[in-house]
Amino acid sequence: MSASTSTDDTAKTPKKTATKTPKTHGSSPRFELPGGAVGYVESSTVVPLVSIVLSFRSGALADPEGRDGLSRLTARMMRRGCKGMTSSEIESAVDRLGGEIGFDVGPSTISLHAQVIRRNLQPFCELLVKVLGTPTFDQEEFDRLKRETVAELIDARDNDRALAGLAFRRAVFPGHPYSRTAAGRPASVEKLTRAEVLATYAKRFVQSDIVLGFAGAITLEEAKTLGALLVHSVPQGPHVENELPEPAHPVGRKLFFVDKPERTQTQILIGTLGTHPRDPDHWPLVAATAVFGGTFTSRMMREIRSKRGWSYGTSARLSIERKRHAFTMGAFPAAADCAPCVSLELKLLEDFTKDGITPRELAFIKNYLIRSHAFEIDTAPKRLGQALETELLDLPADYHTKYLAHVHAVTLETANAAVAKRLSAKDLVVVVVGTASDILDSVTKAIPDLVEHVVIPFDHD
Amino acid sequence: MSQKIAALTARVNEKAAGDGAKWTYEGSVPFVDLGVAALGGEVPHVHRFRLGNGLRLLVLVDRSAPVMSYFTWFRVGSRHEKPGKTGLAHLFEHLMFNESEGLKAGEFDRKLEENGAESNAATWLDWTYYYESLPKDRFALAVKLESNRMAKLVLREPQIVSEKEVVANERRMRVDDDVEGIANEVLYKTAFTKHPYHWPTIGWMVDIENFTPADCVAFYKTYYAPNNATIVICGDVREQDVLERIRDAYGVIPASTLPEEDTTPEPVQLESRSVTLKKPTASEKILLGFHGPALGDADHAALSILNEVLFGGRASRMYRELVTTHEVCTDLRGWVSTFRDPGLYEMYFTARTGTPGADVLARADAELARVRDEVVTDEELERAKARLELGLVQSLETASGKAEQIGFYDTVLGDPAAAFRRLEAYRRVTSGEMRTAARRYLTLDARTIINVLPEAAAATGQAAE
Repeated sequence: MSASTSTDDTAKTPKKTATKTPKTHGSSPRFELPGGAVGYVESSTVVPLVSIVLSFRSGALADPEGRDGLSRLTARMMRRGCKGMTSSEIESAVDRLGGEIGFDVGPSTISLHAQVIRRNLQPFCELLVKVLGTPTFDQEEFDRLKRETVAELIDARDNDRALAGLAFRRAVFPGHPYSRTAAGRPASVEKLTRAEVLATYAKRFVQSDIVLGFAGAITLEEAKTLGALLVHSVPQGPHVENELPEPAHPVGRKLFFVDKPERTQTQILIGTLGTHPRDPDHWPLVAATAVFGGTFTSRMMREIRSKRGWSYGTSARLSIERKRHAFTMGAFPAAADCAPCVSLELKLLEDFTKDGITPRELAFIKNYLIRSHAFEIDTAPKRLGQALETELLDLPADYHTKYLAHVHAVTLETANAAVAKRLSAKDLVVVVVGTASDILDSVTKAIPDLVEHVVIPFDHD
Repeated sequence: MSQKIAALTARVNEKAAGDGAKWTYEGSVPFVDLGVAALGGEVPHVHRFRLGNGLRLLVLVDRSAPVMSYFTWFRVGSRHEKPGKTGLAHLFEHLMFNESEGLKAGEFDRKLEENGAESNAATWLDWTYYYESLPKDRFALAVKLESNRMAKLVLREPQIVSEKEVVANERRMRVDDDVEGIANEVLYKTAFTKHPYHWPTIGWMVDIENFTPADCVAFYKTYYAPNNATIVICGDVREQDVLERIRDAYGVIPASTLPEEDTTPEPVQLESRSVTLKKPTASEKILLGFHGPALGDADHAALSILNEVLFGGRASRMYRELVTTHEVCTDLRGWVSTFRDPGLYEMYFTARTGTPGADVLARADAELARVRDEVVTDEELERAKARLELGLVQSLETASGKAEQIGFYDTVLGDPAAAFRRLEAYRRVTSGEMRTAARRYLTLDARTIINVLPEAAAATGQAAE
């Protein structure tokens, strides 16, 4: 499960389809499992497929300072050998059963995602029990995985958008655990030891921290039986505490320029802190942000893409996490258009924070958010995802289940008050990936009241 | 099922304004059961119709969610362009969201979003499609908007200029500043010398910059017509409602005169071709292209399974040898192109930083030699087939996923349920047939190699394009 969501892809829940036929459904059935674990199931016979998500309630934020990547390396080691099976034998068995597994590490979760053709559900779950419960953490495999991970991290520098995202997190959350990446850095991964991985597994892969979900061609009774089987694969242990400080707001306008040769196209991210799902003005800010940059006809799209043709895509989004997370504006114009695009985005943000949105825009976005909600719940895995997200991020219980009511309740006054209170065009970070020798000067000049600019080599750790 | 739909078609035709607005029912195809019936679900059927003006319609009723997907497939892609005008089919993917008669620029998207719709489009070598997914009670809106832009698109200079700029930016993102994107473009440019698969769907930059409104009008009048389109509808709809609304909206649109296909088949490649690029990247990349079968050729299934054995997942031969055992790659994948005409079997390798591409190529070639010389094991065959079945089932979870599968196979192979025929074909493939396919297509002295070098390494004197 993704640990963060945005205004345009936030999973939402029950729904009245369009405006005529009110149709609601409650949250997915929740059930207790051994050892304090909890389970959810979303049954559907649309396709003969079962999805399984098994999450532990701690993620990359629990990695010690300077050991970024530890959770992810531990999770990846799970498929590198278990009792009686080598890594290769595990992979072969998964394929032979018509299955797929993957581990995903977010800020607050470590999750096993799996899918299997229905007829092989039982043997597939038995395989997962071995994978989760008896990992061997073989030293040779560990060394191999570390080398592989470091090589992947270096290759990831080919991806300019990923470079921008990395720099943005570090810029918005300096010194906060949110500045770290789950993947780690080449230098931090190289330092990790097998002993640390063993300790992480022993401490964090425990029954009491499991949130387990099934979706698809499976009944509640089957889910309970197989859920118990899976939970018993890991030992009992105390819940892992994950206290997080509140992130601090950026002060002044700062530019972080990621310098990479030969960029004909640039990546721009502009942002600040956003919202927390328990904020009283959370939903008004979600609606207003969607007006600003959450649809194909948003203000940002109209001004940057439709009128000027500067960027193939552009958007604004709000991420949610356990603490207040980011408000982000993104665009990727040609190098020659980068400075004017930064300038325009700042102007749009100034207007947005000063004047808010109009009654017409609010009416439009409420229609969009309400009517498009059908696509947030049109498959069993999506419905399950909402239930798991609510549980794992400790969202208000009705966050997804009363989504329509939340959106209905937004007024022009609450939306504009939320924008004025939460967002600022004066205190923000601007991240640009481009070629400094070509455009750094013009970009710095495009940002009035710039208090600081930093140039970061693209291959900086 | 067929009799019921035939009777319904006859009833709907009683109210048709003329022959151009009459439906012909062309039969129903079971959208084959993958075990859904055993779980209490119904085995659905794709109903096929043709309107008097040539418009084809495929309908799959699916009430699993209160939504519907509406795809319009045009049988035009970059293969139908001419040198100097490449990228025109793709530019239309953008222009079609602009102004049409009675609908100002921006209103198309606005109306859809206001009604909760998702919409997008895609263009490739053989086809272009547009789609909307909507709440089920917004079906009429999709019919109105789609029929309007099929017949009444307005092609004015300001919108064309703006969209050309957007497409140029898209090209920078997908090709010029993307190592894999540029390598893939050079692969096809080098492997195809006569056939239109030579040029990229997004078009050469110089062509994108030079399109005129007259180019766009001529292309639109030729290819955006009911007799060159298939509408695919999947979701919570009633067949009668679909037939009546589509007839009323599209029946008045005249058919166009479609030009005869003017494609030069690609001559047999008799020599190995190679190109070296230098890019700001940390590691070498190697892209291989072997001329392969068309999607409809009998060998395609065997080669697809072989691709799973070689590249499918971490238990595959290439992954095990090049990533796990010898640690010469960080990433690799293979794909047998799914084109109407013979395409390429592409293989992509990212070398570990510091590992010479030659080492990667030598190990990859050793694996290719193995599949030419020996049959794969039964266990490998079983795994490959299970992986392909899983991939198909995963693609059918949503209404839009089903509609895309139906439209793709109908457009390329003329069979809306061909995905399931392919699954049956996979099940029949033997290891001997795979070895024969390997010997037929994986010939080292008639392939194309694109080698991307980190700029620092390229500076040491290796030949580069």
